[in-house]
Amino acid sequence: MATVLDLHAHSEASEDSRAPVEAYLNWINLRRAQVPVDGVVLTEHRQWNASADYRALEDKFGVMVLKAAEVETDYGHVLVFGVTDEMARRFDFTNIRIPAQELVDEVAAMGGIAVPCHPGRPNIGLYEHYQKKPVLENVIAVELLNGGSRKGENERAAELIEKHNYKATGGSDSHLVSLIGLCATRFEADIKTIDDLVRELKTGNYEAVDFRPKRKPVPHAIPAEAS
Amino acid sequence: MVDFDPAIINKTFETTEPVPVSRDRIAKFCEAIGETNPLFTDDEGAKKGPYGGVIAPPSFATTFRNGRHFFEHVPRFGRRGFDAGKDVEFVAPIRPGDEITLSSAVKEIYDKTGRSGTMVFVVIRSTLRNQQGEIVAHIDHRFMNRP
Repeated sequence: MATVLDLHAHSEASEDSRAPVEAYLNWINLRRAQVPVDGVVLTEHRQWNASADYRALEDKFGVMVLKAAEVETDYGHVLVFGVTDEMARRFDFTNIRIPAQELVDEVAAMGGIAVPCHPGRPNIGLYEHYQKKPVLENVIAVELLNGGSRKGENERAAELIEKHNYKATGGSDSHLVSLIGLCATRFEADIKTIDDLVRELKTGNYEAVDFRPKRKPVPHAIPAEAS
Repeated sequence: MVDFDPAIINKTFETTEPVPVSRDRIAKFCEAIGETNPLFTDDEGAKKGPYGGVIAPPSFATTFRNGRHFFEHVPRFGRRGFDAGKDVEFVAPIRPGDEITLSSAVKEIYDKTGRSGTMVFVVIRSTLRNQQGEIVAHIDHRFMNRP
């Protein structure tokens, strides 16, 4: 059974979001056809809250909630899945210059996976850093579809993925309730826990999926046949 | 990591003189924002409400100004920046006859990276208290600096 997860979302725990987790789940629950995701992964900026417990909300809305983190490195922003207390002690998540190669390697050694996100974004994306610095080793996957990307950013991500043969994920990068689930990742496997997610990100089959509504073409002021 | 003296965090640097809240001032505020809820506008109707009388609309809390020297105490990192917004937490109602005092302190300083580069954020928390010393609201002013 396939699982569809929005792998990149920020709740009001992040300083630049005003979206309550409950509102995210309610939004998804009320719009299953438009936002067909089974769950969301909360990737709060520069922090890890081991004690946050969303089980009651999961039960109320029938939407899975997993926890990860978005940290900032010398190669841009990186999503860390499978965060452990040991990991949070090893790396100061508030540091905006975490050495990316150390993060990738040590997170993997501690049982998690580090996935660079919005790689096509200026300053904080892998694509631009690869123009100036050595390519990171042992990266398995990067984010292909990011719901917050501007024109050209996801295209640069696609170029990077093809060049380095990375696996591709998707996430909304939502900071607002109405944007949750618009980009996501479809896994072939059944995912119920963060351990399942880490395992699948490392070795499973998955693809980035786009649920953003297609823009309708702007109609001509004068019908084409009349002009 | 942004470099600053951690001793400045939570240290109150300014407290304003009390500002009286008149019934007329609340009425004028309601008129200005188009507020028609009887809780805020109708003396007789509000008596039957949960507060036993007229109270100020929640956003009234944002009308109280910091002191003249407020910005002299806001730490700066670099020469450029802008007001990055405010968060207001409403704690207790403000009533006619209250006298409101603001105390301001640096709540938080942090840095982050974005499309445009590195940014340092300074968050100043202004706490509003009434004449009984009861907290009625917190206002977090967020300032972005470009180092």
